[in-house]
Amino acid sequence: MSSTTAERHPPANAAPGGAILELRGLEKKYPGTHALKPTTLAFRAGEIHAIVGENGAGKSTLIKLLTGVMPRTSGEVLWEGGPVALATPHEAMDLGINAVHQEMVLCRHLTVAANMFLGEETVRYGLLQQRAMVRDAQKIIDDLGFDLPARALLGDLTIGQQQLIAAARATVRGTKFLIFDEPTAYLTRKEADQLFALIRRLKAEGVTIIYISHRMEEVFELADRVSVLRDGTYVGTRDIGETDEAELVRLMINRSIEQIYHKERFTPGKVILETRSLSGKGFEDVSMTVREGEIVGLYGLVGAGRSEFVTTVYGRHAKSAGTVLWNGEAVDIRSEHDAIRLGMALAPESRRDQGLCLNLPVGLNLNLPIYKRISKNALISGGQEKAHAERQIAGLRIKTAGRGALASSLSGGNQQKIVIGKWLNHGAKLFIFDEPTVGVDVGTKAEIYRLFSTLLAEGAGIILISSYLPEVYELSDTLHVFRGGRVVASHVYHAASHERILSEALEATTQKNGEQP
Amino acid sequence: MSTETLPAEKPKRNFNVLFGLTLLLLLIALWIALSVATPSFASEINISNLLRQGSMIAILAVGQTFVIITAGIDLSVGAIVGFCTVIPALVINAGWPVPVAVLATLLVGVAIGLFHGFGIVRMGLPPFIITLATLTSLRGVGLLITNGNSISIQSDAFQEFSRNSFIGIPNLFWMVILVAVPSYVLLHHSRWGRYLFAVGSNPEAARLSGVNVPRTIYMAYILSGLCAAFVGVLLASRIGIGNPTQAEGWELQAIASSVIGGTSLFGAIGSVHGPLLGAFILATINNGANLLNVNSFWQRVITGLLIIVIVYFDGLRRRGTK
Repeated sequence: MSSTTAERHPPANAAPGGAILELRGLEKKYPGTHALKPTTLAFRAGEIHAIVGENGAGKSTLIKLLTGVMPRTSGEVLWEGGPVALATPHEAMDLGINAVHQEMVLCRHLTVAANMFLGEETVRYGLLQQRAMVRDAQKIIDDLGFDLPARALLGDLTIGQQQLIAAARATVRGTKFLIFDEPTAYLTRKEADQLFALIRRLKAEGVTIIYISHRMEEVFELADRVSVLRDGTYVGTRDIGETDEAELVRLMINRSIEQIYHKERFTPGKVILETRSLSGKGFEDVSMTVREGEIVGLYGLVGAGRSEFVTTVYGRHAKSAGTVLWNGEAVDIRSEHDAIRLGMALAPESRRDQGLCLNLPVGLNLNLPIYKRISKNALISGGQEKAHAERQIAGLRIKTAGRGALASSLSGGNQQKIVIGKWLNHGAKLFIFDEPTVGVDVGTKAEIYRLFSTLLAEGAGIILISSYLPEVYELSDTLHVFRGGRVVASHVYHAASHERILSEALEATTQKNGEQP
Repeated sequence: MSTETLPAEKPKRNFNVLFGLTLLLLLIALWIALSVATPSFASEINISNLLRQGSMIAILAVGQTFVIITAGIDLSVGAIVGFCTVIPALVINAGWPVPVAVLATLLVGVAIGLFHGFGIVRMGLPPFIITLATLTSLRGVGLLITNGNSISIQSDAFQEFSRNSFIGIPNLFWMVILVAVPSYVLLHHSRWGRYLFAVGSNPEAARLSGVNVPRTIYMAYILSGLCAAFVGVLLASRIGIGNPTQAEGWELQAIASSVIGGTSLFGAIGSVHGPLLGAFILATINNGANLLNVNSFWQRVITGLLIIVIVYFDGLRRRGTK
């Protein structure tokens, strides 16, 4: 699919001079940082132009400059051949430049239709034409193949569906140039496909698209051309047909792809966790073991029961049947408190919502689970607090101005390291990682994978949940495939092909849809 | 790689210290200006009076700050103060010794805090609502108990306490220190303090880190209730009567003091020294305005404007360091 996309949709206005937006020496300096070094680059009208690069490579800076969120330091931007200032978001929007951000910027308490027409409401004689807007919104949604009612409250939709609506808004406004920033980070495969359909449709209508993603397969599936940024420097642009993943990764990080999925294998030790015919809400009859020095991967579609299984083991939900054994003894885990006390640690999927206290210092976040241990009579030992924080900052190479810096000031990857670091401080034996690399760049991914090795070497066990097959495939010593709440297949390291695992996981959707019309 | 997020991070702490110093300097500047403007300001009587005026709001503001740090609010503290003037009046007039009366009052404060915690944790009510309910109903309960009358407290020793001084400093101000020191230790040097910040920042992350979130919320409201009950005792001592309609609007003054002192109403940002300074800045402005014969209606306007100005600059400071 990926190889044919470019051929089927040749860049419509690929002729020289077809540039809709042109950067000439565009540059952004912050005090002390050169966020974007002088960049000269032209976006052709009607193309899908992917931009890849690690976190901090300058992608977000570029978006902010193009959408008028921040003023540039120097350089020129030409819009349809004429220089533009792009000094305010309003100016960018008036030109037809819009962005779909990774984080939601819509109103959760309004309906889908109201959100789609927000700021562009249909008005007649000073009155809102509610019915007309709902009808039009519904038509757009139906056209795009989204199965959603336009009257639904946005807050009742999944994050993925909300993201689709955010993207669909662009079709209502006279958008000529649309920037997607990591749009699929929280989407299921089905939702991602719907989004891609929408993006192709926009392209067919002549909209120029910038697509920013960490996921290489998406870039190859969608884009006509791809540009690479590294450390604030524009590295180059390739036609999608003339490049491959290996080259892009090399351009992005100066490192080969084999080095990313760095996997050390350890001789597994004794069993840490065992579940016997465990059932609960959303999953049934799951039996598995996790041993010291082993990564157990859980693969499956969203809703296949992986997360439900894990959160039940972790004590958030009550089990309905079966047993959990910890170090060979049956245990009754009734709350997360119990799980933490035993030595389990959960690095949740949504770091920002569940993993970190963002507006508090790095040091406090690192020590949060162990304040009980480093306090005497409830008074904290300042020395120990400092020592534990500094040890993790040094050991995990967390890039921060210091333990007093706020967690929000760190990049996504470094925030993930804080989540891991606090559990290392806690001395956990079993680590559960739920989608640990969502929204994280390749370089940080590699670092997180190396962290796994560190954990394994210290005798910990890891449960890895991921929707990204290459990740679980390359890292798991044992891989369990979930489908419809059950484990449908289990494979040891590299024993099954990608295709087989994918089909095992996928059959679920077709069957499920068949069973529940 | 991620250098773009790093610069301008180090000065953060210095800024916090700076903000505390700014408030202190503002307070001192006010004092100097008022000493120059009116001779009666710097008199011993007036300073003692000022300290007495500010002390009770200061203690309320500290209790309020614990709650605000958890991203909550306690609107009931004024009502608690009023209600808690009645209890020592009843207990002392019934012939019990003063310490028993004080203890009983503090227990009432704890009980009210427990009730708030219960409403928020168990019943899932927003803090604003449950404490608003207490604000109105508690005064009602007080009026029912007293039949709407003021009760004179028949103990001279009890009343003298608030008028006396110890080494030249009013006893009421010593009470601020009595509250502030343990509060400071609790907030900044105990794990319970850390948990307050963590819950205010991200309760889910705190819970997943093994923090007992419900218990932390209970603690915040109990501390606030306890501080308010303590102020109730002090007020009863100062005015010599038990009357549940006293301390009208003090909850807003306490919140204002806390916010002027740099506490964020969104939670997770706050200190003990901030609200103390905030309370005495407000007290100084009111005191000074009285001495300068400024129309008391204007005092309210000035207080409002001051809140806007200080919080605006505080916001600028935070944005500047981001």
